[in-house]
Order: sequence, then structure tokens, then C-alpha cells
Amino acid sequence: MTSTLEPLSTATDYAVRLTSVSKTFGHGESAVTAVDRVDLTVRPREFVCLLGASGCGKSTLLNLIGGLERPTAGEVELTTGRPAVMFQEAALLPWLTAAQNVELPLRLAGLDRRARRDRAEQLLGLVRLVGMGRKRPHELSGGMRQRVALARALACTSNDNALLLMDEPFSALDAITRDVLQAELLRVWRETGTAVVFVTHDVREAVRLGQRVVLLSSRPGRVMQEWSVAGDADIVDDINTRLREVISSHVVA
Amino acid sequence: MSSHSAVEREDDEAVEAGLDALTSPQAAPPDKRARFVGRVLPPVIALVVIGCLWQALWAAAFWPEYQLPAPAAVLDQIVQQVRSGQIVGFLWVSVHRAVIGFAVSVVVAVPLGLLIANVPPVRRAIGPLISGLQSLPSVAWVPAGVLWFGLTDYAIYFVVLLGAVPSIANGLVSGVDQIPPIFHRVGLVIGATRLTAVRHVLLPAALPGFLAGLKQGWAFSWRSLMAAELIATSPQLGVGLGQVLHNGMSLSDMSLVMAAILLIFFVGVGIELALFRPLERSVLRARGLGGGL
Repeated sequence: MTSTLEPLSTATDYAVRLTSVSKTFGHGESAVTAVDRVDLTVRPREFVCLLGASGCGKSTLLNLIGGLERPTAGEVELTTGRPAVMFQEAALLPWLTAAQNVELPLRLAGLDRRARRDRAEQLLGLVRLVGMGRKRPHELSGGMRQRVALARALACTSNDNALLLMDEPFSALDAITRDVLQAELLRVWRETGTAVVFVTHDVREAVRLGQRVVLLSSRPGRVMQEWSVAGDADIVDDINTRLREVISSHVVA
Repeated sequence: MSSHSAVEREDDEAVEAGLDALTSPQAAPPDKRARFVGRVLPPVIALVVIGCLWQALWAAAFWPEYQLPAPAAVLDQIVQQVRSGQIVGFLWVSVHRAVIGFAVSVVVAVPLGLLIANVPPVRRAIGPLISGLQSLPSVAWVPAGVLWFGLTDYAIYFVVLLGAVPSIANGLVSGVDQIPPIFHRVGLVIGATRLTAVRHVLLPAALPGFLAGLKQGWAFSWRSLMAAELIATSPQLGVGLGQVLHNGMSLSDMSLVMAAILLIFFVGVGIELALFRPLERSVLRARGLGGGL
């Protein structure tokens, strides 16, 4: 990774911008604030990892960016098209083949059969699943399913200036597969130039993947600290220490 | 951090290909002979054993002939019906009624089931009613059907519908209920509208439950039809298998009664095995489910 963080050059130079975004569930006394006044800017082609323990509103934040939920206060601005989303589980449709799963978003977008097939083939090639298009999800391993899900997510985006939202997509995989898929994701990210917001609770994963790591506190989720990853090894320990402090602060007195 | 070299990339690729080969689920090639032995033999053996028991009971003459006829006598009864060609008439009358009744039931039950599954007030209002109807024996509707529609085909279809509609609708409702919640979100993020989500995601996801409902609906239409035919007998109605049963009773002809029961059984089971089982199996197989089928 070669990138160093530069200050934003122009005001519109962002893929997604959150301005003082809050999200509260419920009303009155039982109301729970999941996300509290979060400011976050992700530049085009940037890879940002959101890191936090459980209950930090990571997934809520992702849902807010993805438009699956509306903020209670604040503003979410996107310069990209509809963001693509990847979940912890592959969530492939089991009655469709791998290729049909990738084609479905294209079909819903109104592409004709031929264009769909070509694009799906290209995307399956991108995640190194050439020749696997006819397999059904149950005939694939967990890692392969997650790659099909990545191809499907990419099929939801337009080619340039895309945004990919990933909600702990590798946390259910075994260590070896996770390691390979992290490398795979970085390669795909470089090749496609999409911006990525990647939610995880794994510090090493965040540091390996992200150009920037954003630490969130829990209940309510707030931005605690940010690191730009420039390849130094100490950063993992540094983030770990801070994460432990944040978690410890939640001990019920 | 070092830049991602070509060597490193090739290495990644090799590791990944190896992992794919190691972790892909392996399917054993099907053994046709073992499948035949495992699937066809047990029911055949069961039938033979039941036949032998029957023969032994008859030979021991525990009951008089008019209560327990010999298996051969019942078989002879069926052979006679086949020879005279009458059997075609009985089967046609009953099967075409059942098929029409079932088809109409599907047409009624599908919108009803979708409505119950998707509109909470409707579910609260008539959901329990539909479930309750399912446990009400449809033979209870025969008197009402006869009083409302007279001794006509309409009375028979009325009973069939009340038998089959609840179970098909309930099957669809449970099929919809069992859709994993993540599929609703998948529909949203891949850009489906409400309508296209139903068409491309939710209906296919509900298909296994719906098929189970259809299968049960068929069983209910068939048994409701037999109940209706058995009670509502009249020359205008034509002779179906239920009426044959009725005639056997009136004539105290036990071999005719047993022949009719066997025919009713084999038609019901036969249609399930020939139609619904393969359909269900292919749907479940495609999803990697239903190992037991």
C-alpha cells in the first residue's frame, strides 16, 4: 500500500459523507441511540475500515449509508450510485446458479440477456471463479460463496465511482480462507477502483485491509479515533490498546 | 508496505485454487442399483407381508367370508371391472373431479395465502380460522353442500374446496414465513422494487413450503372428494369411486368394498408419487436440500 492520507482537496471530493449523523431506535424512555453524531468522509477509491466491539452501531452505520435505514438526525450524502452491500453470510439465492445470482442485479437493472451474461462472466473471472458459474450455492465452499457474493455486490454497482459496503463479510470463515479472501478483496479493490467501507471487529483485519481505520465506541456508537495505515507494525498494538480502553469503559458500575 | 508483486499474485492464486479444491463439497456419484434396492424394495416387501397376513387370516376363517373376502376374490373383482371397462368410467369421474377441484382450490388459495402472509390484520382476522378449517373433517360439509347445492357436482366441488383450500393457503403462509429475513435485505440491496422482489426473491424462496402445501392440498381434495361421493349419491351424479364404495355397502359386497378402497388408495398415492414427489424432489435437490427424498 502506498497511499498516505492527504487532506480533502475540494469539498465535493468524497464518495460518501456523513455529517453529524444520529440514529435512535424506539421512542421515549425505551429509546436506544445506536449512532451518535458521527462525522465520516470516505473519498472515492478509498478503503476505510470501521472497527468496534459489538453494540457499536457498525451495522447500523452501514445500513444508514446503504439507505436501508434513515438517520434520525444529520445527513448522509453519496456521490456514487446505489451502494453495493455484502453481508456476513453470502446470502446467495439457493435456487439460482452462481452465475444467475450475479446476473440478478443486472437483470433488475434492465440489462439484456447477452450483456448480463458477459458481465457476470467477467465478474466471476474477477473473483477467480471461471467455470463455476453453473454450480449451485450448496455445491460451493464457504469461501467460494463469499466470492460469488462479492461478484454479485459488484454487479450492483456501476463501473466507475462505486461504493462497496461490507458487514464483517469474512468473520464466519476459517482462518486460512479468510486470509486468502482478504488478499482477494484487496486485489479486486485495486482492479475496480471502488470505495470500500468495511466493518469488522478484528484489528488485524482492519489494519491489513484499510487505508484508514476508524474506531467506534459502543452504545452509542461514536467516532473515537482514526488512524491512517502506512504500513507500520506498531499500529496494531496501538489500536488494540485503545479498543481495550473503549471496551473497559463500558463496565457497569 | 511492499507493492503486490506478480509472483505474490500467482502464489495467492495457487493457494486459492488449492483451497477451492479442498473445501468444495464432494458429491458421491449415485449408485443406481443401490438406490433401486433402497427405495423400491422396502414398500414392495411391506405389501407382500400385508398380503400374506391377509391371506393367512382369511384361510384361518376367523371371520365369515362376507366380512373378510379372500385377496384373490378382491383381485378378481378388480380384474372384472377392468375387463368390462367400467373401471375407466369410475376412475374418470373421480379423477377429473379431483383435478378440477384441486385446480380451483389452488386458484382460490394462492391469493388468499399471499394476503394472509403479507397483510397482518388479515392474518390476525382469518389466519386462525383457516388453520381451524384445516382440522375440521371436510365430510362435515357434505350435508351443508347437499342442502345448498342439491345433489349436484357443485355440492361435491364445495366439499373438495373446503377441504383443500385451507391446507394449500396454510402451506403458502408457512412457506412465506420461513423465508430467511436476510433475503428481504438482499432484495433491497440488489435493487429490487416491491414487485420485482416478490417475483424474483420472495416467491421462489417460499416455493418449498408452497409445494408441501400443494401436496397436502391434493391429499385433502382426494379424501374430501371420496367423502362427498360416498354420501352424496344420485343417478345424475355419475358413478365415481366413492359411489362404488357406497354400492358395495348397499349390496353387502365386501369384495367390491375392498376393491374400491384399494383403488382409492392407489389413485391417491399414485398421483402423489407420480406428480408431487418428483416435483418436490427436483425443487429441493436444486437447493441442496431434501436428502431424505
